[in-house]
Amino acid sequence: MRISVKLIATYRELLPPGAQGNRIEIDVPQGTTVSDVMTRFGVPLDERSVIVVNGATVPLSTVLAEGDVVSAFSAIAGG
Amino acid sequence: MYGWHGKILRIDLTNLKTSVEEVDPQMARDYLGGRGWAIRYLYDEVDPLVDPLAPENKLIFATGPLTATTAPTGNRYMVVTKSPLTGAVAHSNSGGDFPTWMKRTGFDMFIFEGRAEKPVYLWVNEDQVEIRSAEHLWGKDVPATTDALLAETNPKSKVACIGPAGENLVLMAAIMNDKHRAAARSGVGAVMGSKNLKGVVAYGRKNPAFADDEAMRKLSLTIAKEVGADIKKGSSLREYGTAYVPQVTNTMGILPTRNFQSGVFEGADRIDGVALKEKYLIRPKPCYRCPIACGRLTAVDDEKYGGKGEGPEYETISSLGSACGVDNLAALTRANYWCNELGMDTISAGMTIAAAMEMYEKGYIPEEDIGQPLRFGDADAVIAMLRKMAYRDGFGDALAEGSYRLAEKYGHPEIAVTTRKQEFPGYDPRGSQGMGLLYATSNKGASHMEGDVAYEEVFGVPVKDDPLTTDGKAELVARFQNAFALIDSSGLCVFLAVRYVFSKDRMIWPTRLAQLMSHTTGVEYAPEEVLTAAERIYNLERLFLLKAGSTVDTLPPRMLNEPLPEGPAKGRVAELDKMLPEFYEVRGWDENGVPTREKLAELGL
Repeated sequence: MRISVKLIATYRELLPPGAQGNRIEIDVPQGTTVSDVMTRFGVPLDERSVIVVNGATVPLSTVLAEGDVVSAFSAIAGG
Repeated sequence: MYGWHGKILRIDLTNLKTSVEEVDPQMARDYLGGRGWAIRYLYDEVDPLVDPLAPENKLIFATGPLTATTAPTGNRYMVVTKSPLTGAVAHSNSGGDFPTWMKRTGFDMFIFEGRAEKPVYLWVNEDQVEIRSAEHLWGKDVPATTDALLAETNPKSKVACIGPAGENLVLMAAIMNDKHRAAARSGVGAVMGSKNLKGVVAYGRKNPAFADDEAMRKLSLTIAKEVGADIKKGSSLREYGTAYVPQVTNTMGILPTRNFQSGVFEGADRIDGVALKEKYLIRPKPCYRCPIACGRLTAVDDEKYGGKGEGPEYETISSLGSACGVDNLAALTRANYWCNELGMDTISAGMTIAAAMEMYEKGYIPEEDIGQPLRFGDADAVIAMLRKMAYRDGFGDALAEGSYRLAEKYGHPEIAVTTRKQEFPGYDPRGSQGMGLLYATSNKGASHMEGDVAYEEVFGVPVKDDPLTTDGKAELVARFQNAFALIDSSGLCVFLAVRYVFSKDRMIWPTRLAQLMSHTTGVEYAPEEVLTAAERIYNLERLFLLKAGSTVDTLPPRMLNEPLPEGPAKGRVAELDKMLPEFYEVRGWDENGVPTREKLAELGL
């Protein structure tokens, strides 16, 4: 199935060449979890990162569905 | 005294006289400094019912015990007064260089009272204090005023001043320092303008003495090293400034879009920090002694929108950008420069234009009143309105009153997205429930700086909290309000403070901040004591608000009744009623939001 990964601000550097801006579409097998995908891109799975699926806070063990967008950025104060 | 100088400079603008006062050591300890000292003086000396633009209102500049110290980011000051926008207390914070220079004059606070007959500026060179004519500067913008004041005093000094917006009593006028930094919110610049005070120039070499030099030096270095190590690993704030945030809030569906008609903006990629870095960034620009450097020195090379200055930061991108439907980064950056040069709060200015755009598109404001079309996405119209607003020219006179009064004037107050008539910052509370409770209960009207729980709900600092739940938000908001009152009183910057001088658990605990304040002042502050002091400050501001007559803690109808139409928070409204009663209970306030006798007694109020 196809999902999107969006890596924001400094995490953009974790995207492989060929990504469009901060986003890439990838094919993953059924049953893939949030943590599987984040590990693949080298996103830290601890408190250093904020990871959301379709913009919502979910457990890292959440199984992804077709069309999901997994976004991540470094936990740092902002606006 | 250590840490504090213990001295206040009082400036009587009516009689053009100045005097020096000593600070009571018990007051110093109980109210910490900065925002805390200032509200104590404002509460004691200003009738909360006074017309904010009358000579009877006072304008207070206040530094904290950590301002001008070795503590990283110990370089903030507060402007405290009664706000002409909200009618409540205003406390607006700024960095740059000026705060440290102000503290080095040997005074912790400047209190301006009365009204000068003709425009003046204040020149403080340690104990040599002069009130000088500013008639030749009246009408000049911020950069020209700043350059002139430096030339007339000491080029090594630092300047805070108002631009045309402050002179024209625009209700969102800012006080600008070092040209590009702003004590922006709540119309503090209009109060300065009402006093005919054009500028303040500070120079001095009186660094505050520390009670424990060695411990202060050591802890400052430890913190600086931690920040440095994090930046080496890659810091979004250093790389992109706060301009990286539109990507985050847009992903969460809470980026104010077309006057909060949506939380998802299709043009977010075009106005974010990555685009800014690629196109216009010259270099990151730190405030004095700041290792983070979130400021952006930028230049736009464009025939129409060309210029050089600082910004835009996130709040400006969300107000002058997405809230107005604008995705033209060159125009948005130029609009930011205009606000800085004219001396206006970008948040309230942008959100007010956004409200006007919605009313125009819905036919509530006739085109002949505005003098031109005013549609979402029209960047040139935004720039035109900003200039009209600062000079109260034509329709700008109505815009200068802020979105609430504008919407009310045209019979549609429900269009204004404000609390206590102050415009929302860049987090839609329908998808960030804690922020809704924060805006509703804020003593100064809608403001993220009153206790920014977006740190947890959006940014995961110190820990990530689900923005869509209301559970536990009552206590979280109260904790953050107290923490921010503490930080604003200390003289540190919130960007450093929450992450590095509070503990990393959800209910943030100021272990290191108390240590820094103890090493500086010599008062043996325990974390409990500084937090109690912060709660005292917060409650005193509440009392000022209640006496000023603003008592209802609520949100505008759009937030309570109109669900977000798209994005992760689709279908949600701000569920204030689920949080407010518990919040009052946590605060020790009655069901109307009034502090109980017991709470006041406990805090020594």
